[in-house]
Amino acid sequence: MATSPYPASGALIRDELPEAVLSHLNNLLGPREELLLSATTDLRFDGSYGPAWLVATGQRLIGISPSESGRYETLGIPLAEVTRVEVRELFGSGVLKIRTKKSGASLAFFTKTLLSKFSPVPSQIERLIRQAKPVPEDAQISDSSVDGFAGRKKRCERCQQVIPHWMGVCPMCLDSRRLLFRLLGYAKPYWQMAVGSLLLLLTATFIGLTPPLLMRTLIDDVLVADTGGSLPAASLIPAEPRSSVPRSQAPAPPSGMDKPTMLAVLVLLLLLVNVSRNGLSAVRTYLLAKLGQRITFDLRKEVYRHLHHLSLSFYNERETGRIMSNVTQDVSRLQDFISDGLQEIIRDIATIVIICIILFSLNPALAAFVLMPTPLLILFTRYFGRRLHDLYHGLWRRWADIHALLADTIPGVRVVKAFAQEKREVSKFENRSWGLLSGEIRVARVRSTFTPIMTFLTSLGTLIIWWMGGNKVLGGTLSLGEFVAFTGYMWQFYGPVESLCRLNHRFQRAATSAERIFEVLDTQSDVAERPGANAMPRISGSVEFAGVTFSYEPGKPILKDLNFRVEPGEMIGLAGHSGAGKSTLINLICRFYDIQEGDILVDDRDIRDVSLKSLRAQIGVVLQDPFLFNGSVAENIAYGKPGATLDEIVAAAKAANAHDFILDFPEGYDTPVGERGLRVSGGERQRLSIARAILRNPRILILDEATASVDTETEAQIQDAIARLIEGRTTFAIAHRLSTLKNANRLLILDKGELAEIGTHDELIQRDGIYARLCRMQTEMSRLRAW
Amino acid sequence: MQQAYHLEQELTLLDPGRIRLIRDELTDLILEYRGERQTVTAHRAFPLTATGQFIVLKNVDGVEIGAIRDIATLDEESRDVLETDLERTYFAPVILQVNRLEENFHVPKWDVETDRGHRVFEVRSRRRDIRVMSEGRILLRDADGNRYEIPDYRKLDPVSRAFVETLI
Repeated sequence: MATSPYPASGALIRDELPEAVLSHLNNLLGPREELLLSATTDLRFDGSYGPAWLVATGQRLIGISPSESGRYETLGIPLAEVTRVEVRELFGSGVLKIRTKKSGASLAFFTKTLLSKFSPVPSQIERLIRQAKPVPEDAQISDSSVDGFAGRKKRCERCQQVIPHWMGVCPMCLDSRRLLFRLLGYAKPYWQMAVGSLLLLLTATFIGLTPPLLMRTLIDDVLVADTGGSLPAASLIPAEPRSSVPRSQAPAPPSGMDKPTMLAVLVLLLLLVNVSRNGLSAVRTYLLAKLGQRITFDLRKEVYRHLHHLSLSFYNERETGRIMSNVTQDVSRLQDFISDGLQEIIRDIATIVIICIILFSLNPALAAFVLMPTPLLILFTRYFGRRLHDLYHGLWRRWADIHALLADTIPGVRVVKAFAQEKREVSKFENRSWGLLSGEIRVARVRSTFTPIMTFLTSLGTLIIWWMGGNKVLGGTLSLGEFVAFTGYMWQFYGPVESLCRLNHRFQRAATSAERIFEVLDTQSDVAERPGANAMPRISGSVEFAGVTFSYEPGKPILKDLNFRVEPGEMIGLAGHSGAGKSTLINLICRFYDIQEGDILVDDRDIRDVSLKSLRAQIGVVLQDPFLFNGSVAENIAYGKPGATLDEIVAAAKAANAHDFILDFPEGYDTPVGERGLRVSGGERQRLSIARAILRNPRILILDEATASVDTETEAQIQDAIARLIEGRTTFAIAHRLSTLKNANRLLILDKGELAEIGTHDELIQRDGIYARLCRMQTEMSRLRAW
Repeated sequence: MQQAYHLEQELTLLDPGRIRLIRDELTDLILEYRGERQTVTAHRAFPLTATGQFIVLKNVDGVEIGAIRDIATLDEESRDVLETDLERTYFAPVILQVNRLEENFHVPKWDVETDRGHRVFEVRSRRRDIRVMSEGRILLRDADGNRYEIPDYRKLDPVSRAFVETLI
């Protein structure tokens, strides 16, 4: 069953060859030799960058590389002599190696960029060889390519840009302008609240803009009407624009109304304006804040849920602190933006638009002049905006650095103290903190030049009004009231423009956070459930590995072609040197990662065909350093089975030899274990984690060095508990102390990712291989210790 | 569904019908069970979350004799004896009203009325000594290790409630 995403049976690579190379080849090839495979590489034989080629015909493999003299260096190997083809990932490049019976040759060199392109090449060549000479299936031709590595994308599929390792999504293909719209998508469920507050906002803004108009009426019609009567007030300007806005707010004084009455009406109107404006804005501030909180609540929930759906490899590539900052800081910054920033932006834009309309209806010519500095303002804002965006990006990274350092060092404080490295840790922190400081100072510098420039630009508008408007009033084309109204609006106009500019950095900050959050949300889990994967029924517990090959990174297989079968109820001891792949094997049974080649069958079903939840529900894990959550003892035991009865909890604790020490705590099963279970001792923690596994009643049990970190007496108790636990279950136990594995039915010895030995203790001792050697060494050691 | 063994077989439950608990002159707890008579100590396995269940009886050497799954299944006399004993062991007055709550150097000083009378105590650590359980239940431990309980702070009078809410 070929399940790798790039099946080995894919089409042969056929890159275009340049004319010169083709003609060079024509001289080499026989009359009936046909080119079947051609691949362009990016490193020459001499190690310089530049195209070189690998071609294959039905008869031979040829490597071609331009040499310095302008000619072609050629290396050819007849297919018939090839015994092994492999792509090897070297320290800084890759190479295609060919082995013949007599010697080996490197036919193509390439940079790591082309590693994924060349990884399927060995199996393609192998196919050519099989076609050339039908060989029996067990021939010695073997390819060890690491194809089908889909786990981690290093480059964007669309634009070929390198993807930052902590992102998982191409930043180039992420449209920043769409971020805001996407964010607004989260407001959809609350659209009534959103529309309501928006209407309130607009109404309040509109009402807030009427006072200068009242002021104009006050001056023109009440205060200076007598003297101004001689002035041809507004006579040149058609009455129409004047009446359009102001009259609706302040009804034209009936000629019969005397001035004190008008004054009183105006004052009352102003009072009304202020009361209603502030009342409305109180309501809308509340509504918008509520909206913002709801949206961020949803977002925070979604981010956290998504984090739990991602596979372990996501966590391997990122530091804990960084992920935590995603959930807390980034989301709270968005909240700040949505509940404060966004409404300020909308209000400011509405203000600007309304003022523009009023100004232009008052006096279009003057309005045009007054608005002249605005384009300049916008230009500057955009320039500074970009600068600030970059700076804030840097700042965010430095914050994340500090978080990562804290999350790393504080839990490891015992190690720090034990090695007396406080000074170094402090200076490490100081360094990063200093980096943050210098970043903040750079931001402060940019902002401190930004604000004065902006203020100066806005003051230009006032200058213009004084000069132009003043002249017009003198010339009688503008009434005094209109001049005053203009000045008033001027101040109200540049206020929002300026604050929009100041808001810019807040917006940038929020956009950066939004980007990062959506990046997490867009990252797909690479251990995805197949559509239509159904639940695994209760299993009997057989486990089979069929040709399993796995690597965390391409070119470095951790497990190679593993084949074995474990019967239900068997206990398998896993042994081997450190780094032999024991823990990896266990990770694969739990399907924390997906394998690249072969199949893992549980009860003869491919584990990729069943839902993750139903698979893991039948697996119990006891780790070397068990992780307990902050909660009571009882809660931790019942972690894998919420709603377990008290009977079950106590029984599980008894089975794990934990009951007695639990009762010795004054609060018994209700004792809090503290964060990470640090308030109980290591051996106690271990037994609690065994109880946790027992309560789940799993069919497959995994013990990863379960007794490595406890003293001998505790180990005996734990061993006792384990012996009860493994009864009737398929068990995989990893142990360095081989004596721990004495109960195992069979032992599985891994060596450099390969299955070296499998069999019972006696069989393996007789075989006198790795296991026998390990055993001898440990007896030797214990004799030394005893002596 | 085959199972290796039933977890429940691990439990050593006592048959409530055969238990008789008496208190002797020295107010020791005496267990009469299946014709045997011995001095025991009673322990709650879940002193906070299930006070009436899983009462573990140990002999004078601290070795577990067995557990009473539910105190309600005992005969009335034994239940009274056991409950009185447990209440003394797990002494935790119920706070009925909070008169004052003062904070000095982040050490809150509680002035309360409990079901056992008036009491003033101080709590050292908010995180360790104040446990908020579900349903508004709050467990307190004062600086000397004494315990207090508020069954549901939401049902306290408004003044007491406001005091409590500043600390949780």
